[in-house]
Amino acid sequence: MSRNKPAKRPRLTNEGFVGRTAYFTSRALNNIRQNFLLSVLTVGTITIAMLIIALFLLIFVNIKGATEDWSKRVQVVVYFEKELETREITAFKSRIASLNGTDKVTYVSKEEAVKRFRNRLKGQEALLEGVSAEVLPSSLEISLQRNNRDSDAVAAYVAGLKKIPGIGEIQYGDEWVRRFSAFMNFMRLVGALLGGFLLLAVIFIVSNTIKLTIYARKDELDVLGLVGATRFFIKAPFLIEGILHGAVGSILAVIILTGCYLAFLHNAGNFLSFNPADEGLSFLPAGYLAGVVLGGIILGFLGSLTSLKRFIN
Amino acid sequence: MIQLHNVFMSYQSDAAALNGINLRIPRGDFAFLTGVSGAGKSTLLKLLYVELVPSRGQVLIDGQNINRLSRRQVAYLRRTVGVVFQDFKLLTSRTVFENVAITLEVLGWSKKDIGKKVYHILKQVGLEHKITSTPMRLSGGEQQRVALARALVNDPKILLADEPTGNLDEENKEHILNIFKEANIRGTTVVVATHDRRLIEHCHRRMIVLEKGQIVEDSDVPQ
Repeated sequence: MSRNKPAKRPRLTNEGFVGRTAYFTSRALNNIRQNFLLSVLTVGTITIAMLIIALFLLIFVNIKGATEDWSKRVQVVVYFEKELETREITAFKSRIASLNGTDKVTYVSKEEAVKRFRNRLKGQEALLEGVSAEVLPSSLEISLQRNNRDSDAVAAYVAGLKKIPGIGEIQYGDEWVRRFSAFMNFMRLVGALLGGFLLLAVIFIVSNTIKLTIYARKDELDVLGLVGATRFFIKAPFLIEGILHGAVGSILAVIILTGCYLAFLHNAGNFLSFNPADEGLSFLPAGYLAGVVLGGIILGFLGSLTSLKRFIN
Repeated sequence: MIQLHNVFMSYQSDAAALNGINLRIPRGDFAFLTGVSGAGKSTLLKLLYVELVPSRGQVLIDGQNINRLSRRQVAYLRRTVGVVFQDFKLLTSRTVFENVAITLEVLGWSKKDIGKKVYHILKQVGLEHKITSTPMRLSGGEQQRVALARALVNDPKILLADEPTGNLDEENKEHILNIFKEANIRGTTVVVATHDRRLIEHCHRRMIVLEKGQIVEDSDVPQ
């Protein structure tokens, strides 16, 4: 009786990292073709999930932009004990500019103050009869850096200002600053909670969808195991499929978001009176869009990885 | 060579599926495992392709103790064992060619070599004209032959079959049996689990009878 030789490996294909990656990618693409409907289901779920996340980010970015604008109103105005010479003004400006938290220092002369006053009372010029530049004091308007606009930081900054000799009165609307800080803290909390819940829901839905689609192909996993495939050989194409599904799903989400934005969201700010200072809602910056795509890829990869762990011993 | 030494197998709290099995199947042997349903035939086969490990005792395949194999070693061992299932376990979304090629893909063969070898084995089982069909378009007998082709395509050292002729007509049974015999002639050790006594009598090979997880008869039927 003739004897079999050990299992032959006549000519191995796709050796090396690049070859193996190309081989597993071609198998992943083949699997997508063979299980097209399941792929559509997975991509669809990831698209919807990432679209929800992207919409949340769009709202978040615009609210952040709006509050940024509002926070610019946090301003400290400094009046002096006596009228200053130009040389003294420059000295004060540079002294204040060197203070921690100062963003910009602007000198408002008596003439400028009167001009602004007149502008504010447009239509009621009669009230301004007899008012000359001498009546109003000159001042320095100080804008604060972004991180120094909450009530505690402003109070600390003002305390620092008071130590500078020659400074008389300081105005900074402390009540408004306090309310604004409380509002910002509330917005941050709501944003973190909403974003967190949204992210959890999205991860739950996507990972369960991937689990179901992999379960539908359990036979394939079993057969591969029975014909002697290593765990890596079984998993690799599924993981690449996860990455491809995630990439396509999230890119579709970005395309749909862009379409929605161009169609009606870009001028939504006008009729919502959301941020009247702007011309409408601003779109997501490129970094956020890249984050959405990367998030989709990670979601697809991790969803496949955790699901495979359940089915491959 | 397959060796089982005092093998016990029980599924959790159930009664033992195998109860002190001692068995030796030399290389190149052809043996039928028979017995009524629940006698332990399928469990014994599952030990041989390492789907299960024994609760007690030793199972050695070509000198390798399956209790001591790592996952990777199990995978490599399975490459030398072809398995045919009663329910075929064919992938319905893949063609006949792809179903058979999967065994060689796992071994890392090149596309060209896979093409040649798969065509050759499908010709051997008489299905070369169905190469692009999907399993759902095939009859039960044809599906069983595809499963056989998948198990045999890499010339395994051992071929295991669980009720391979379960739902087949006489003509298909004959065809399947001939394929087993041809593989055996080429040197493959063949172990077939079946409760079809007519098949065993017709084939004149070694017969191992199981009853309640024990071997009650082990006879060489004269050829």
